[in-house]
Amino acid sequence: MTADTISTILVSGIVLGSVYALMASGLSLVWTTLGIFNFAHGALMTLGAYMAWTISDAAGLDLWLAAGIAIAVAAVIGVGILMERLLIRPFYDRRDILLITVMTTLAAMIFLEKGMQLAWGARLKQLRPIVPGNVNLLGTTISAQEALIVVLAPVLLGLLWFFLRNSRIGRGIRAVGQNPAAAKLIGIDVSGLFIVTFALSAGLAALTGILLGSVRLVTPTFGAEPLVKALIIVIFGGLGSLGGTIAAAYLIGLLEAALIFFIGIYWAPSMIFVLLIAILLIRPQGLLGKVER
Amino acid sequence: MSVAFNVRTLAVVALLLVGLLVPLVVQDTYIRHLFIVAFIYAVVAASWDLSLGYAGIFNFGHVAFFGIGVYATGLAAKLLGIDPWLAMVIGGLAASAAAALVALPVVRLQGIYVVLVTFAFSQLVLQVVISQSAVTGGTQGLVRVPTIELFGYNFLRDYKFGYYYVALLLLVLTVACLRWLVRSDFGLSIRALRDNEDYGVSRGIPIGLQRLKVLMFSAFFAGLAGGFYVIYLRVASPEVFSFSTVSLILSMVLVGGTSSIYGPVFAALGLTFVSEGLANVDGLAEGRFMLVAVAMIVVLLFLPGGLASALPRKRLEQPAGTGSRMRPSSLGEKA
Repeated sequence: MTADTISTILVSGIVLGSVYALMASGLSLVWTTLGIFNFAHGALMTLGAYMAWTISDAAGLDLWLAAGIAIAVAAVIGVGILMERLLIRPFYDRRDILLITVMTTLAAMIFLEKGMQLAWGARLKQLRPIVPGNVNLLGTTISAQEALIVVLAPVLLGLLWFFLRNSRIGRGIRAVGQNPAAAKLIGIDVSGLFIVTFALSAGLAALTGILLGSVRLVTPTFGAEPLVKALIIVIFGGLGSLGGTIAAAYLIGLLEAALIFFIGIYWAPSMIFVLLIAILLIRPQGLLGKVER
Repeated sequence: MSVAFNVRTLAVVALLLVGLLVPLVVQDTYIRHLFIVAFIYAVVAASWDLSLGYAGIFNFGHVAFFGIGVYATGLAAKLLGIDPWLAMVIGGLAASAAAALVALPVVRLQGIYVVLVTFAFSQLVLQVVISQSAVTGGTQGLVRVPTIELFGYNFLRDYKFGYYYVALLLLVLTVACLRWLVRSDFGLSIRALRDNEDYGVSRGIPIGLQRLKVLMFSAFFAGLAGGFYVIYLRVASPEVFSFSTVSLILSMVLVGGTSSIYGPVFAALGLTFVSEGLANVDGLAEGRFMLVAVAMIVVLLFLPGGLASALPRKRLEQPAGTGSRMRPSSLGEKA
């Protein structure tokens, strides 16, 4: 294995890992705080990319990219809040909320996917890159946009961590995640924080979509593949902690890059799944999850 | 009790007679086609009810078992030249084998992790089908699958007359088997595990083995339905694995009500006609799935007593790992 090979695998693995980390951390945040799994997360990502395209592309409104990004993120956050209101809030008092919200968010995903197909059609769209050109990283050339993702992902996730750790709202979110009843007792606005959490997660999804929208082609099912990868990541890392999820995201990214290089793009997903089953047989709580029995 | 039982038996017999007479009255090929498709979906929905409703396993890979049946039968009949009747059984067995593979991790997992693994599995199968296009036809689909014959009678003849009865037979056999299963001691034990896992285990029910059996039985019928589906339509496309198919069949299970077997069957019959009817309306070919999604949410919102109240309880109180102490719904119960 030459240095070139290692560099290629490493760089493409880190690019993949960054995308997955952005994607999976939003899922993990909602899970730790609300205890529900949002299957529409990938569709929110797609919606963000389409919105930004419509506003900034020449075929759309042809405004600045910055305007497109800002409006798209805001709009997706709005949709996220609406989802929390309509699809999750009515079921808070139900004991089977976990299963019900799997179904409602799945329905939301279908609704959004088909809606976007009707609104934007099946033709492929691509966002203008935020930064044009190519960059040489460790001897491997990637587009500047991909380099931007690699740089932005840790920055955004660092900000998220800082926010959860140090701000009053962030501490509230973590308190609700740890014990909602006790959080309510000491006067934390639990239902308000659920909305904030969902908004944060939706915002992350939109940003992921916008960043990825100029690297890959945007279709109505653009978010489905990253969502499936995020599923695998949260199984690997355990849904409980943001840190575990992010670590698993980079791990899977690197693993996928290596597998694509050695056994090809067709069999890589199957190999990852077989590995997943093998790991779950030995550690049912996930590779990085803690034993809680 | 016995009166109610007799009324239900009479109703089932009456419906069966109506089912047998339909093709004699309905001459239209398209209406017959809708019946056949509805029967197939009814088999898939009813068998999903066994694992999701009765056993309370959060199995979201059921449509993948159907798809595995479609492709296993299609490939066996087309490439290996196996008799299509036998190929359908192979489809069922292949789905069962896949279910056993999924069951390996699933029987040891809890709550959301079961959902995630079964979901990831169904997406994986889809990716394999698309990537191995040399064998499966990829996104183009598998075409020109052989048809079934019986004593020299080719089922392509007589405007789907023969296919209708095969589909009806498949449905009746499936419902009879599933009803027998859920009313047997086996059915009692899986419901016991669903309602109170700890107590069930302490009374000596082998939880891993029962869940493995549930998944394999429920996948077998789905695979068999998939086998008939591909022999009947003569094409297989990756569309059978799509989230649209999942949501359509899931809505049948939800609208019909879980833990009843009959409920999903009737919902499948009704929803297939509604959904196919809407597909012919201009602009609704894709949009109808938006309506299906809305219908699912409305049912979950407004019919909790009728449908969702029959959903599994016990396992939902303990989502995997860290989830249990974080669930917002515990607010109302503990406060």
